[in-house]
Amino acid sequence: MSEPVLSVENLSLRYRVAGGAVAALRNVSLSVRQGEVLGIAGESGCGKSSLAAAMIDLAGANAEVTAGAIRLRGQDILRLDQAARRRLRGREIAMVFQDPMTAFNPVLTVGAQLVDFQFNLDGVPGREKRARARDMLARVGLSDPDLVMGRYPHELSGGMRQRAAIAAALLMRPAVLIADEPTTALDVTMEAQIIHLLRELRAQYGCAIVIVTHHLGVIAELCDRVAVMYAGEVVEEAPVDELFHDPRHPYTRALIACDPARIGKATGRLPAIGGRLPDLSDPPPGCAFAARCGIATDRCRTVPPPRVAPGADRGVLCHEAAP
Amino acid sequence: MSSGGRFRALRALLSDPMGALGLGLVLLFVVMALFAPWVAPADPIKLNVAEKFQPPSLAHLAGTDQLGRDLLSRIVYGARTALAIALTAVGLAGVGGLILGMIAGFGPRWLDAVLVLLFDSMSSLPMIMFALAVITIVGPGTGTLILVVVLVSIPAYARLIRAQTLALSGADFIVAERAMGASSARILFRHLLPNVVGPLLILLSMDVPVVIMLEAGLSYLNLGVRPPTPSWGNILYDGYTSIRAAPHMVVIAGLPLVLSTLGFTFLGEGLRDALDPRLRRRVAG
Amino acid sequence: MTALLSVRDLAVDLPLGRWFGGGARALNILAGVTMDLQPGRTLGLVGESGSGKTTLARAILGLQPVSGGTLRFDGAELRRSADFRAIRRRTALMFQDATASLSPRMTVGEAVTEPFVIHGIRIASRRGKAAELLAEVGLPAEMAARYPHELSGGQARRVGVARALALKPSLVIADEPTAGLDVSVQAEILNLMADLKDRHGLSYLVITHNLALVRHVADRIAVLYLGRLVETGPTRAIFAGPGHPYTRSLIAAEPKPDPRQRRTDLAIRGEIPGILRRPPGCEFHTRCPVARDICRSAAPALHDLGPGHSVRCHFPETTSKGG
Repeated sequence: MSEPVLSVENLSLRYRVAGGAVAALRNVSLSVRQGEVLGIAGESGCGKSSLAAAMIDLAGANAEVTAGAIRLRGQDILRLDQAARRRLRGREIAMVFQDPMTAFNPVLTVGAQLVDFQFNLDGVPGREKRARARDMLARVGLSDPDLVMGRYPHELSGGMRQRAAIAAALLMRPAVLIADEPTTALDVTMEAQIIHLLRELRAQYGCAIVIVTHHLGVIAELCDRVAVMYAGEVVEEAPVDELFHDPRHPYTRALIACDPARIGKATGRLPAIGGRLPDLSDPPPGCAFAARCGIATDRCRTVPPPRVAPGADRGVLCHEAAP
Repeated sequence: MSSGGRFRALRALLSDPMGALGLGLVLLFVVMALFAPWVAPADPIKLNVAEKFQPPSLAHLAGTDQLGRDLLSRIVYGARTALAIALTAVGLAGVGGLILGMIAGFGPRWLDAVLVLLFDSMSSLPMIMFALAVITIVGPGTGTLILVVVLVSIPAYARLIRAQTLALSGADFIVAERAMGASSARILFRHLLPNVVGPLLILLSMDVPVVIMLEAGLSYLNLGVRPPTPSWGNILYDGYTSIRAAPHMVVIAGLPLVLSTLGFTFLGEGLRDALDPRLRRRVAG
Repeated sequence: MTALLSVRDLAVDLPLGRWFGGGARALNILAGVTMDLQPGRTLGLVGESGSGKTTLARAILGLQPVSGGTLRFDGAELRRSADFRAIRRRTALMFQDATASLSPRMTVGEAVTEPFVIHGIRIASRRGKAAELLAEVGLPAEMAARYPHELSGGQARRVGVARALALKPSLVIADEPTAGLDVSVQAEILNLMADLKDRHGLSYLVITHNLALVRHVADRIAVLYLGRLVETGPTRAIFAGPGHPYTRSLIAAEPKPDPRQRRTDLAIRGEIPGILRRPPGCEFHTRCPVARDICRSAAPALHDLGPGHSVRCHFPETTSKGG
């Protein structure tokens, strides 16, 4: 098994807000290897987007890393100076956003921007940069790359824009591609095509891909390993097949159970997860999921749960999960 | 619920330092204008040529002008003239712009086209030329000044309101109202009006100083307020003409213009934030 | 039994170039849409963006002028705006963006009692009625003092449901009722809708691109492609044997939350053509895997595949061949 390209070690991050701080990430550890697709799943407020932003060092001015490290090929990027961090972005780690419109400048053509994104390549003539851009657009499945080069972002459909955004992210051959809800803004048929594209790209480039999404279908279709997040913590980590067929954490089980896509025929009611997320400005002392958990005991409410390993490459943050 | 809402808005305005400062400055000028005879230390038009061009002193806190009149008293009475003209003119123009803008934005398309054409042709006229033309026809005076301001400002206000109305009429909550069967009048007054008034208010309060300046400019050209009635424009003009003999006059005459501009602008911005429940969260919480 | 809502050959055109073109050019958004909704039932209207499904909902409510066909509500034909005004007390619309559908300057309490004010219906106490409606959707009465921007996505959705229920309608049109919601919240909203349907005998027209959702809630399904109804039928029949290649592609494109059911091929290529460039013949031929010459020239007619199941295709697959 190869060394991880990117690893997050015991990362804690909080946002300073008026009158206190919100603990958005608490002791998060995970890693992604070359050629692997890691899924980060969870509902809104679970911290998955904060984690993605922290990985590419874009967590915002009011974010503060209180502990932990983010290592790219072993080097802690949080210890680098600003200039060195900036050089990593785009070149070593690239990001694809939910709304590809925000990834492009609306007043420049797609081609001009794809050429601009290569500003790091000193000494490469403009003509070659254009050729690389064109080539990358063709590789992401845009049938007429020359036409797309001359278009403005708003002149492309949502699906074409997302393809162009993926092309932009891959231009510098990054070691890690982070995609935050890459298909959420798209229709079903476009979503299927983008999933297909990401699979092909993984096979072609062998880069590590991190997919952040709330959509379990996308996780199941695309990922090799999955980290499920709840209230700023990774509550379960497992290979994709084991996660869907042998989930150990009660939250993972509930999440999978209440997805209507699992249910073949109309039932009167869907299983739901009652209750609300805990207040992250004052996290509960015990397990964060205890208040909504069906099997919680007194110990769960008072003692932080241990991380148990029910199998190779697996981890569950739960008192009750059998090891 | 609405009166409670207004008090909430006032509290929100006062809790914002800039808004409170703006409100304070505006109130200061309003009090000065309303109670001018009591506030002013002397008669603003009483001549005393022997004491002309005096610098600020205990007898004349702001000094005297080229005819020996007490400058502070002239500024206090000038606030009366300035605010009366500016508030009346901007208020009338605001109401006119609101009505025309909402008609254009919500009414039938042909009416919108006609009104937009009208607004565009109105605002293509240079303001000063237009003012001069109106003054030539109607004759100079306070009423003329107000008429000019109203005619010149309506297109800008109406355009703002029209754009806001158009943008909002496609909004989901307006479609929801239509789907529930709400009448056009209800949609206009209950839903569109409160949402378009906010931006208009800030524009209006920022335009008050513009009108004060216009009054000053026209008074300078002897086409506005007739001397010896004190007006900030007249005072400033006197200051400019006497800038060598008494440089303090220009500075002192400029102060109320600067302060009122700041006051109305801060008030406008404060009001915008205070009237919008989306921006009020911090106060409520 | 007479249908609660009956749509026959409905067409919606948007006039184009009235000022300069001179001629009566029109953009054809919907054509030949025929469907029925029986009282107490749920009809799922399925289509991707650009399929015309939202236009159809607006046409049914009289918010979009129709250029052909007939609409009947409870047997009475809807022609003039007065007819639509009369049915608005008996219909309600739930928006995709629940927060945006609430007036930003109205409290939740004012919003949910707004229908009474609009229709001049006297209620003893606005506050009491608001509390009653909020209780019906599982929200505490204190929520009445909140403004829309202070609500979470799920809460805003519940407020939207409460407002829709205010006048005890017979028909609720729900536009993407679960879009943008987390899986667990989605389940809660669907359960709430199911409970209210049982309690008040509601009929739903659910507009969505989410097949998992319609499979769960709908009795019948109507599939729209580029403003044409391509397939209608009982939900079970359509999922068991989709007749139209587009329906088949949609079902295949849906990501399955099970890594063992990963599809390896790409079900559908390309995108919905713009409505300005409507393909001749069958609208779907540009993306259809089984298109032949006739599909490119002649528009297909409706064929019956079974009881209440019809498909607009030259080569409808029957259930036996399906898949």
